[in-house]
Amino acid sequence: MTELTLYEEAMCCSTGVCGPDPDDELVAVSAALDQLEDAFDDLEVNRANMQHNIDQFLETQRIYDRVQEDGPSILPITVVDGEIVAEGEYLSYDELTAAIDESATAQEA
Amino acid sequence: MSQTERPTDSKTSAREIVEPSGEETEFVFFSGKGGVGKSTVSCATATWLADNDYETLLVTTDPAPNLSDIFGQDIGHEVTAIDDIANLSAIEIDPDAAAEEYRQETIEPMRELLGDEEIQTVEEQLNSPCVEEIAAFDNFVDFMDSPEYDAVVFDTAPTGHTIRLMELPSDWNAELEKGGSTCIGPAASMEDKKRDYERAIDTLQDAERTSFAFVGKPEDSSIDEIERSASDLADLGIESQLLIVNGYLPESVCEDPFFEGKRADEQAVIERASEEFDADAMATYPLQPGEIAGLDLLADVGGVLYDGAEATVDVGAATDVDGDGAIDFDAMTDPDAVVDQLTPGEETRYLFFTGKGGVGKSTVASTAATKLAEAGHETLVVTTDPAAHLEDIFGEPVGHEPTSVGQENLDAARIDQEKALEEYREQVLDHVTEMYEDKEDTQIDVDAAIANVEEELESPCAEEMAALEKFVSYFDEDGYDVVVFDTAPTGHTLRLLELPSDWKGFMDLGSLTKGAAPAKGDQYDAVIETMKDPEQSTFAFVMYPEYTPMMEAYRAAADLEDQVGIETSLVVANYLLPEEYGDNAFFANRRAQQAQYLDEIRDRFDAPLMLAPLRQDEPIGLDELSAFGEAITGLADVAETEAPEVTPS
Repeated sequence: MTELTLYEEAMCCSTGVCGPDPDDELVAVSAALDQLEDAFDDLEVNRANMQHNIDQFLETQRIYDRVQEDGPSILPITVVDGEIVAEGEYLSYDELTAAIDESATAQEA
Repeated sequence: MSQTERPTDSKTSAREIVEPSGEETEFVFFSGKGGVGKSTVSCATATWLADNDYETLLVTTDPAPNLSDIFGQDIGHEVTAIDDIANLSAIEIDPDAAAEEYRQETIEPMRELLGDEEIQTVEEQLNSPCVEEIAAFDNFVDFMDSPEYDAVVFDTAPTGHTIRLMELPSDWNAELEKGGSTCIGPAASMEDKKRDYERAIDTLQDAERTSFAFVGKPEDSSIDEIERSASDLADLGIESQLLIVNGYLPESVCEDPFFEGKRADEQAVIERASEEFDADAMATYPLQPGEIAGLDLLADVGGVLYDGAEATVDVGAATDVDGDGAIDFDAMTDPDAVVDQLTPGEETRYLFFTGKGGVGKSTVASTAATKLAEAGHETLVVTTDPAAHLEDIFGEPVGHEPTSVGQENLDAARIDQEKALEEYREQVLDHVTEMYEDKEDTQIDVDAAIANVEEELESPCAEEMAALEKFVSYFDEDGYDVVVFDTAPTGHTLRLLELPSDWKGFMDLGSLTKGAAPAKGDQYDAVIETMKDPEQSTFAFVMYPEYTPMMEAYRAAADLEDQVGIETSLVVANYLLPEEYGDNAFFANRRAQQAQYLDEIRDRFDAPLMLAPLRQDEPIGLDELSAFGEAITGLADVAETEAPEVTPS
């Protein structure tokens, strides 16, 4: 069982498709997450954005601290099984796959 | 059909609908445009219920409530007992305050993590029509659990759009799992309300406990609008049970061909509505010489609607008019100032005619466009209102792209919602496809990703964006001296106009963290700058001189100024009663009332006034539009000032 959590800035809609121009990064990451869920049987994906899921920011000490220290520009933060694997940028599908594989390997070891 | 027949056959049916049928609280919602007499009918219904020994609460969410005028007593934001009516209480809810409260609740927990500047950005994002709809719905929900009352009467009703938004709770779990969310708000606080929302929607759909009533005027456009809203609600399993047509001309006061003709038209509309509108009951109430206030008149309305009584139109009492009722219209207007606002300078002039549905803005906009074209200006008239009828007005086909309507220098166009959406979809999907062509991600399934986006495009948000895209594109139409916008009804217009600023703010926030420069930002900026520049853009509010239409226009104008920084530069007062017809006390009184509101309009709006008379029939075709233009302040003079100064010998 692998948990992937994305902590994101405050935004109205995380799909990237509700503005005059689609937001490329959000479109890409939404598609990547969908595909990851299909590719890995025991993967749980969770997205928390500050506007809608402020609780998760307040309750997760590490994330809370990071945002306190560096401000919201540190977002998005990608967490795989409790490990921060990226800050300040979205990972590509390939990078996410690698991060999940690595975490799985570490668990087995 | 005689005047007395109709109330009689509706006697039991309208009553059956609003009267509580069992132990449980009955909810009655009145829906309809401003100025149709919705408040009056709501107050009369609540009073009637109270008089029939039902413990009744009246809830108004009108932003400019006039309950205090109607009941002669201050009410305010707390449930207040009405002094002279046993069993009746009322409350006025300020929808703006409710929205602000909702916003603050949402933002509060973020204060801990975010700085002032960031909080402000989030606050601006929450300043969306969406949030206002949710806050408004919360008001309904709050009162939909009121076991202490036998009946609760709302002088407003949730729209199909709002209900669709609030129905999401049933899908919320799925939505939240996806990590997706709509613009609804923080998921956690929504979870708490989920059950309340679900119960409220169940109650709304329960025809036994909830009555949906529409109030309209005896005009085709009013009935058409109601049919559209009702069919929206029907899609959501909500039945419209009662139609009340308010303000028809009483037979006894129509003593000349002008008003006899008007009355005949109105009766035909009522006839059509009773045949076509799929409601269980229908009732009508006549126009009164003055405004409906005071308990006697309320009781009269209730008696007609629910007891089948005959309406009392006290024409004899209508004598409190100054002098012979002659109004000095010339002193109210300055045609030169109007001409200044209408005519283009070196650059293209953008004229926006805005106002609620039913105030005649399409006709006024088309008339202005016709006169400007006659004066030699290359003119485009565009409607952004999905319900607009430019084709009917010009008697020529009007499509998505500008085409000539038979007058030299004059083109017309209308935003076709479906086509606009199709264009927007294509544009977004092309963009996404292109994006993946450049990507180095090797394993991503591009087709699935695109399918995802396609699914996301099935949202009201996409429709809004599509309309906005098209709206903005008309600013780039080349070759016109004047572009006249017959804008959508005020609230919708604001939304459309505000969105560019909102999106700009939103994208700025995005670019803070992502450094992504949005391609559309600059284009929207340019459009907003153009709209804000009084040298290039003129905002004209169209209304008729009565309380609610005036207040709605006033509020909308204030919003435009506060939120977008746009000042109103013209006011059109439409449907002025002609002096040459209606020579009796009834119309003398109506005229005096119009004069009183004209004064108030001049006090409230610091802008030149265009006066437009009530016509026997709406002008149709270029000749009639041109003739109508001659009767509107300033439009007759557009040609003169602009005609080349060549004297033909």
